[in-house]
Amino acid sequence: MNTVGTPIVRLSSVAKRFGEHAVLDGLDWQILPGQIVGLLGRNGAGKSTLLECMLGLRELDRGSVTLFGEDVAALSEAARARIGYVPQKTDLFDWLTPDQLLDYFKAMYPRWNDAKVEGLLGRWGFGARLRRTPVKRLSGGEQQRLAIIRALAHDPDLLVLDEPVSALDPLGRRDFLRELVDGVIERGTTVVFSTHILSDLERVAFDLAFLKEGRIVLQGQADALLENEKVSLEDLFIRTTRDAASEVAP
Amino acid sequence: MPNHPATLFSIATGSAEPIYRQLVEQVRRLAAGGQLQPGDDMPSVREIAQALAVNPMTVSKAYGLLEMEGVLQRRRGMGMVVAGQGLQAPSADRAELLRPTLERAAREARQLELDPDTVLHLFATILKEAP
Repeated sequence: MNTVGTPIVRLSSVAKRFGEHAVLDGLDWQILPGQIVGLLGRNGAGKSTLLECMLGLRELDRGSVTLFGEDVAALSEAARARIGYVPQKTDLFDWLTPDQLLDYFKAMYPRWNDAKVEGLLGRWGFGARLRRTPVKRLSGGEQQRLAIIRALAHDPDLLVLDEPVSALDPLGRRDFLRELVDGVIERGTTVVFSTHILSDLERVAFDLAFLKEGRIVLQGQADALLENEKVSLEDLFIRTTRDAASEVAP
Repeated sequence: MPNHPATLFSIATGSAEPIYRQLVEQVRRLAAGGQLQPGDDMPSVREIAQALAVNPMTVSKAYGLLEMEGVLQRRRGMGMVVAGQGLQAPSADRAELLRPTLERAAREARQLELDPDTVLHLFATILKEAP
């Protein structure tokens, strides 16, 4: 759990634009092994784009990304198998049932933890009937829980979560946090996740990074950031991400 | 030596006081007030992290600080126990531990433009209520 060693994720001068809009603009960011990092930023700041670029799911305009020391554009199968990812929207394979979907992914990962999958399915409300229902007929929350189970199933060393709890009710979110604390952080997994639910972030994120105008503008230990500024996380978010243009003169 | 459950603690999110700081203050208060007696076993980092759904590193950080302050003591292979000679801190010292919480309350009372008598009366009422 010590945050020592070489970065597990390294982004250097990453740029990505959509048409005229520069979403990432010379962004540098490093994540060390064992860090639990909360990624914060306003709606449309580019958090999903950043996470997608980090995982090699989008081509970069400029710059480079390495994961486990390998160039993400030519990532080995071994490195790929060490990553778990929960995208913001999961509409892949939605004609399959949860059982079929999990079987399909199981074949792709050498390190698949059947006991963990069964435990999570049981605890998170996937009874026999639900497990045989096509994913597209599940509720938003059920689909999100399934996506999380899929991402945790192969005991990843790097877990990337993009708004993983947006469709979950408070109890579902708490179940997810408990699993993070007991099943993921305890293993020394490196976790990067974006969310707007600051109370969740406060509980589990030891480090924070703020994305604004295409760069990481502030990062550090969550506790230290709050103590230095003497504000709540909500106030820190507002202070850090507010546009200069929208600031009212004193 | 009683075993204290992890539910001994409670935390509030959305506060300017980080969670580890809240845990430190709670242990200090409970130890000063005698609810935690010297030699008592503390719940493990993992138990607390699970019960509160917080990062274990945050709990470790709180325990580390409390150990440095001499409130807790690490026993080899047995986890943390409450340190000390069984003497309850003098009441003046214990009252001082309440200061941060009361300062916060005072600040909010001023923001609400309440007069001191109303606030003190309310506090007196709350003190007499069941725990």
